[in-house]
Amino acid sequence: MSLFGELFISELLNKPVLDPKGDELGRVSDFVVIKGEHLPKVSALILNKKDKLRLEWDELSIFNKSVISSKIYSPHVKSYVSSEDDLLIVRDIFDKQIVDADGAKVVRVNDVKLEGKHYMAWLAAVDVGMSGILRRLGIERRSESIYRLFGKTLSQNLIGWGYLQPLEPRLTKISLTVPRQMLSELHPADIADIINSISQKDGASFFNDLDIETAAEALAELQPEMQADIINSMDTEKAADIIEEMPPDEAADVLSDLPKERADEILEHVEKEEAEDIQELLMHEEDTAGGLMTNDFISYPPDITVREATERFRTEAQEAENVYYLYIVDKEEKLQGVASLREVLIADNDSYLADIMETNLKTVAPGEDEMAVAEIISKYNLLALPVVDENGYMHGIITVDDIVDILLPPASKKKRRRV
Amino acid sequence: MGPGIITANIDNDASGITTYSVAGARFGYALLWTLLPTTVALVVIQETIARMGVVTGKGLSDLIRENFGVKAAFYMMLGLFVANFGNTVANLAGWAASMEILGFSKFIMVPVGALSIWILVTKGSYRLVEKILLFACLIYFGYVVSGFMAQPEWGPVLKSAVIPQMRWDSEYIMLSIAIIGTTITPWMQFYLQSSIAEKGIKKRQYKAMRLDVIIGCSITDIISFFIIVTCGALLFPHGIRVTEASEAALALKPLAGEYAYLIFALCLANASLLGAIIVPLATAYYVCEAMGWEAGVNKTFSEAPQFMWIYTMTIALASLVIMIPGAPLVLLMVLSAVLNGLLLPFVLVFALLLVNNKKLMGEYSNSRAWNYISWATVITIIGLTSFLVITTIMPLNV
Repeated sequence: MSLFGELFISELLNKPVLDPKGDELGRVSDFVVIKGEHLPKVSALILNKKDKLRLEWDELSIFNKSVISSKIYSPHVKSYVSSEDDLLIVRDIFDKQIVDADGAKVVRVNDVKLEGKHYMAWLAAVDVGMSGILRRLGIERRSESIYRLFGKTLSQNLIGWGYLQPLEPRLTKISLTVPRQMLSELHPADIADIINSISQKDGASFFNDLDIETAAEALAELQPEMQADIINSMDTEKAADIIEEMPPDEAADVLSDLPKERADEILEHVEKEEAEDIQELLMHEEDTAGGLMTNDFISYPPDITVREATERFRTEAQEAENVYYLYIVDKEEKLQGVASLREVLIADNDSYLADIMETNLKTVAPGEDEMAVAEIISKYNLLALPVVDENGYMHGIITVDDIVDILLPPASKKKRRRV
Repeated sequence: MGPGIITANIDNDASGITTYSVAGARFGYALLWTLLPTTVALVVIQETIARMGVVTGKGLSDLIRENFGVKAAFYMMLGLFVANFGNTVANLAGWAASMEILGFSKFIMVPVGALSIWILVTKGSYRLVEKILLFACLIYFGYVVSGFMAQPEWGPVLKSAVIPQMRWDSEYIMLSIAIIGTTITPWMQFYLQSSIAEKGIKKRQYKAMRLDVIIGCSITDIISFFIIVTCGALLFPHGIRVTEASEAALALKPLAGEYAYLIFALCLANASLLGAIIVPLATAYYVCEAMGWEAGVNKTFSEAPQFMWIYTMTIALASLVIMIPGAPLVLLMVLSAVLNGLLLPFVLVFALLLVNNKKLMGEYSNSRAWNYISWATVITIIGLTSFLVITTIMPLNV
């Protein structure tokens, strides 16, 4: 078969395919694509005659913009039975949405570009630009001359297939794809924006494809309902992995929106220590101090030196969400005092934590209302506030970012655009 | 307030109010009965559209592009763009007329109105826009007040509302069809489905959504009802014929006094401006979404050029058209009504094909009974609007 360079699918659609005698087998209506080594490759053509026909790639003899012909004669062409498992370019890729992570926007596939190499046709890129639309409408040439009139050229806007990450297995649906390497560089809040901008089902499938760490961060940024929907539609193992990766308070928020049995099922798969932390948080009402707090905080006994505390801090601080306060608790986990990171850093290495800690503590009870918590945090300019029960036991801390989420109305968290 | 209620409210824009005023002034209460079947048809269609928005989480233009290809989407969007340009002209004309009867020059008020809605949408925050819209929706109840102020005899009014009467008068037939044409419009379907998809309404909230749609459709037609009643009670007995909503307001002045006239004029101004905000904005969204262009009120001209230009040009050109002395305004509005009539069958048939697509809708696709009702409704509406389109192009000589 003769080699070809680059071709757009829209230039091939509805072209007649001839057999060796020159009789028309049918007209091109679609292309079957299978997984290739690097890029997907075209494995067969679907032709329209009276019924649908399927012409395998190796049954072709000439394939280019002007002539498409086959090696086999008309009676030998197989009929095609439509199957959901096939990936078809026109049916499954044309006109679908792509999330272009470069700028986090949604674009549509206007055309698909094939590349001929080694007697094969590879799916090289998707066209998301204006020229793709005009080509599909069959008015590209005319529009080009109009553009030239204004001293402009029609720019092509192609996204290489290599940058696209099919979402669903077996390549049956490509409603959404995204360059993975770019994705990891996006801020979790931006990823959450992308997920909010696509349909619920696509969002879940998109999520399944993220690595656990990114998924955990992005999940925390989503609206509560969306969080529950996504976690609910995932398989339990994966959901548990993501929950385990999240800070306990955020994990508890997500689980509290799920049906009780489902939440328990997921918790069973979470590491024991993490699961206990989450369980404990789940027992508190959502709009109270207990519901807001995280039990992920840094605490040390009063009788260690600053040097010892700093060393322990170096390893423990990697995991903790908030590191600006060190809480000093006794053996019974009763809160004794607090030292800010600054105080620890400037203190003499040999002094004891008990010497430098602040004992005049601002604390809240677990049952306190969230607005009261906000007032204390605001009044004393705190970054975090410990939650202590009537017996002096420390249960967790409430960090200022969780308070900000309460105080800011939802509209400014996610800009709604339709009016 | 849900998308169903807001969408239905905005449906009563300048051309709707004109149709009802004319109908009331010309035939009294005789056309009131058409509101009942119109409401049913509206509910059937809006319910279908709303269900698609809830189940697929996508807008109608998205679904048309994905299932029927770029050609269908492109030509439909082109049609929608032109028809909605006409709608914008009609609304700005309504604004100009209501301002003129209140004693303001249109050469000042049209630019002021156009500029303020342009600034509101491009520079204003969502919360501000929403507050203004909700407040504007409340103003519609002014028509209810005017209906009671007209002190109609409620017996005949209610009788006319439920007992159909036919007259073989070409104007009567035209007006009854026009009432359907102005109530069920192509752009509304796109607007409703997108705002539902946008709000992220879930399947389990679907029942509430359906209620929202039914309430919304009922409110629209209750407003329409009171417009017809006001004009029917005050203008019809005196044989005053009007061709525009603003004329109706003017005609009310000597008959019903300063208040009814003011209410009518202010309500018209309000509805017109509301339509002039929403219609171009909605157009810009659907066209960009179908074509895969960046869209959003929070974007700048360089970030979303197509979106911003479509929105800006629609408002700017429409205001210019209004201000050209002797511009063929009536012709433009008739053309836009014709184009709406031509687009409607495609929108409705696409919608019904989509809602019956099991792959898309699963268990939420139409039941057989609902399909019979929907197809019958759609075919009737298509029949009536094509009649309207044909007679607009070639007027009947009866």
